[in-house]
Amino acid sequence: MGGGTRPQFALTQMMNIRVNGDGRTIDRPLISVADLLVLDHVEQPDMVSVQLNGRFLDKSAYPTTHIRENDEIDFLYFLGGGSDR
Amino acid sequence: MRKKDPHGTLRPAVYDSVAFEFQTALEMQQAFEGRRPAHSYSRISNPTVEEFEDRVRILADAAGVLAVSSGMAAIANVILAIAEAGTNVVTSRFLFGNTYSLLEQTLKPWGLQVSYVDMTNPGNLEAVINEKTRAVFVESITNPQLQVADMRLVTRIAQARGVPVIVDGTVTTPFLFKTKEFGVAVEVLSSTKSISGGATSVGGVVIDNGVFDWQKNPKVRPWAEKCGPLGLLFFLRREIYRNLGACLSPQNAYLHTLGLETLDLRLRKSCANALRIAQALEQSPGIKQVQYPGLESSPYHAIARSQFLSGYGSLLGFSLESREACFALMNNCKVVRRATNIHDNKTLILHPASTIFCEYSPAEKAAMEVEENLLRLSVGIEDPDDILEDIAAAI
Repeated sequence: MGGGTRPQFALTQMMNIRVNGDGRTIDRPLISVADLLVLDHVEQPDMVSVQLNGRFLDKSAYPTTHIRENDEIDFLYFLGGGSDR
Repeated sequence: MRKKDPHGTLRPAVYDSVAFEFQTALEMQQAFEGRRPAHSYSRISNPTVEEFEDRVRILADAAGVLAVSSGMAAIANVILAIAEAGTNVVTSRFLFGNTYSLLEQTLKPWGLQVSYVDMTNPGNLEAVINEKTRAVFVESITNPQLQVADMRLVTRIAQARGVPVIVDGTVTTPFLFKTKEFGVAVEVLSSTKSISGGATSVGGVVIDNGVFDWQKNPKVRPWAEKCGPLGLLFFLRREIYRNLGACLSPQNAYLHTLGLETLDLRLRKSCANALRIAQALEQSPGIKQVQYPGLESSPYHAIARSQFLSGYGSLLGFSLESREACFALMNNCKVVRRATNIHDNKTLILHPASTIFCEYSPAEKAAMEVEENLLRLSVGIEDPDDILEDIAAAI
């Protein structure tokens, strides 16, 4: 697009979230946790622990839990060996 | 394979590498924090081992699997994760000798209390579980007594008290016994046996069936709050297992992955052989008693039939007149091998009292019903006529 303001409809579709501490902008108005796992190409979602805004989210809730502006989503993978203690 | 191989290979690659490189320092940090699905160090995780873990998870229909260096490593890792000084584990009076040694001689001095009960008597179990009990531990088929507990009853009693049941499923594997369907929280087993392809290499697995709420365990609770049903496995991977270092080698993981492909075929054959041999030995005048859950004469036959699929395992026991008669039979065998292990593709014979249980007193052995005139036979996949002829000639 050229200079000047963005069309109003494009602004309403953008959403700022944080995934694993990294800021992200999502250009879809309605996205579930399940959608985000697909978007992030998570290969084995059943071996990933998801925390939404600091709270564990059961995988049965992935399809029906929709992400909102400023949400913080953390994917904890079963691999990796550091300790956060 | 779950992850696509870049070269389209039909077999998983053996990633025999200690460390793995990262593109940036940030990616390395994220991997160590568990926020990036990347391997960093093979003691902690490895691509070839991951492939094996995933296949066992699918076979068992489990929530998650952790592969370790041996069956004993699997047992030790789980006990150390869920119990601590001043707590107790309730288990059967019939245990594999090294498991008994782990609990009695290695962990008791560190403050773990252990109670031994007759698992076929539910009243015993209910009476012993208390507020400090962290697990009920039982073998799917005890080795070498061949006892089978009513698993639904055991799990019902334990669940009512908020205690997980851990089953050593080495003698059955998830192919014969679907522990998840019986409410078992964790299955540990030695993949050295059937899963490896017939005793090709040493390994073990911890299988979490995802049916126990780990928030009920004080040690696992912080991990369960973060990771839900995978809390125990995350705790193991990111602390207990990582710190103990009992990792499965990529080479062994590769062999065990191959072994899974023929597990069905080999177990069906060895179970069929074991039943045939047990029935023949039962008719033999030289044999005092035969123990095998597949025999209708076994006190555990009905329970075993209700719990196991496609067979009753390939382990059986039989008694002769004396220890001397046992030794003579073993020495006369030419097809059956004198070796320790179970679920080799070859039939193996062992005198438990003088080998696996050699460090225990006569009173301890008697309490575990490991008699001096007992022989243990691990039946392989040979022609059963060859095995029967060999034993008949040896008697």
